[in-house]
Amino acid sequence: MDPNLLVEARSLGVSYGAKRALDGVSFTIPRGRVVGLLGHNGAGKTTLMKALVGLVKPAQGDFAVLGLDPLRDRVALLEQACYIPDVAILPRWARVNDLIGLMSGLHPRFSAERARALLRRTSVDPADKVKTLSKGMVVQAHLALVAAIDARLMILDEPTLGLDVLSRKAFYEMLIDEWCDGERSVLVSTHQVEEIETLLSDVLMLNEGRLVLSIGLEDMDRRFYALAHDPAVAEQVAAAHPLLRYRVGPGSARAAALFDGSPPASVQALGQRVRPSLVDLFIALTRRPELDRTQF
Amino acid sequence: MQTWDDRQPIYQQLADLLAAQLLDGDPPEGAAMPSVRALAGRHVLNPLTVNRALQALGEASLLESRRGLGLYVVPGARDKLKASERERFLDTEWPRLRDRLKRLGIGPEQLRWEELT
Repeated sequence: MDPNLLVEARSLGVSYGAKRALDGVSFTIPRGRVVGLLGHNGAGKTTLMKALVGLVKPAQGDFAVLGLDPLRDRVALLEQACYIPDVAILPRWARVNDLIGLMSGLHPRFSAERARALLRRTSVDPADKVKTLSKGMVVQAHLALVAAIDARLMILDEPTLGLDVLSRKAFYEMLIDEWCDGERSVLVSTHQVEEIETLLSDVLMLNEGRLVLSIGLEDMDRRFYALAHDPAVAEQVAAAHPLLRYRVGPGSARAAALFDGSPPASVQALGQRVRPSLVDLFIALTRRPELDRTQF
Repeated sequence: MQTWDDRQPIYQQLADLLAAQLLDGDPPEGAAMPSVRALAGRHVLNPLTVNRALQALGEASLLESRRGLGLYVVPGARDKLKASERERFLDTEWPRLRDRLKRLGIGPEQLRWEELT
């Protein structure tokens, strides 16, 4: 296996009874990437993450995480891969210091000193009890504990769910500034697509258990063509069969269309090329209008 | 969080933002630039994007790399930036502004100049 690839999945399939949660999913995660995993609720994001750390047994396909089989070599894998599940909680009765002590005893690659250094970035005091912390502070404390593990892969399932915008920013700031070093990779799922778009190097998009897009963000800018145009020429633009038509910005009079590949020159001439947004691409490729854009 | 527009690559927008800060003396000439990771964290950007922005500032001779120490603001960077900003104003912004003043019938005597001198 290629030592540059932290994750290699080929035709991964997972079923829950008759329901196929994942179907024929193939992708790789090289070193030094920040990969966004996008999908509607029930698209298979959590299942995929669980499979990567050996919590779910795939029915088909083969895959390697850090060169290991997640089911067979789970303990060895968890020394080098950390995972914060979407249902993660810290025990409410414990002090943060107790948790640092617990981790020191449990995890061979955990550094208590590093965890305390990371906590100094936050408003969490090691003497605080978890139950006295706000939701944002709990998540910060959790990240500080996990980021103090000298691992190669971090898997985060909806880590900022329910946090306000400042706590979300603080979370990603710590992740990028303190953990990512150009060698380690992160796989993160979120519904706040617009917020983390610029943070990502790559994106995986799941729709009903199937991978509909696996692409680097730079390739995405090259491959997809967003055309901002005057609403007056909307019909001519629509005739070229864009993936999606939308309005640019809230309350804007500018319309836009998203194409897979460049549209004909006559259509290009109807407007200006702009950077396609990940949210628009997500809506176009998963064909479900329920994603509520007002939440951003 | 920071919003970026969709007309220019983000690294270019970050380079413009950092250049505007350099013009204001942040960081001052001869001082170290914040690290790639610090900038990436602060702006919630991928470090590769930050690298490209810093590279663009390096190519414009505003930053220099000191071996083993990182990037520093070149002495004279502010004058260089000021000169290119002046050029941009006089070549592109001023003609547009002049046309607009002409269209609105505003003459020099109607504009307040006292803060300038």
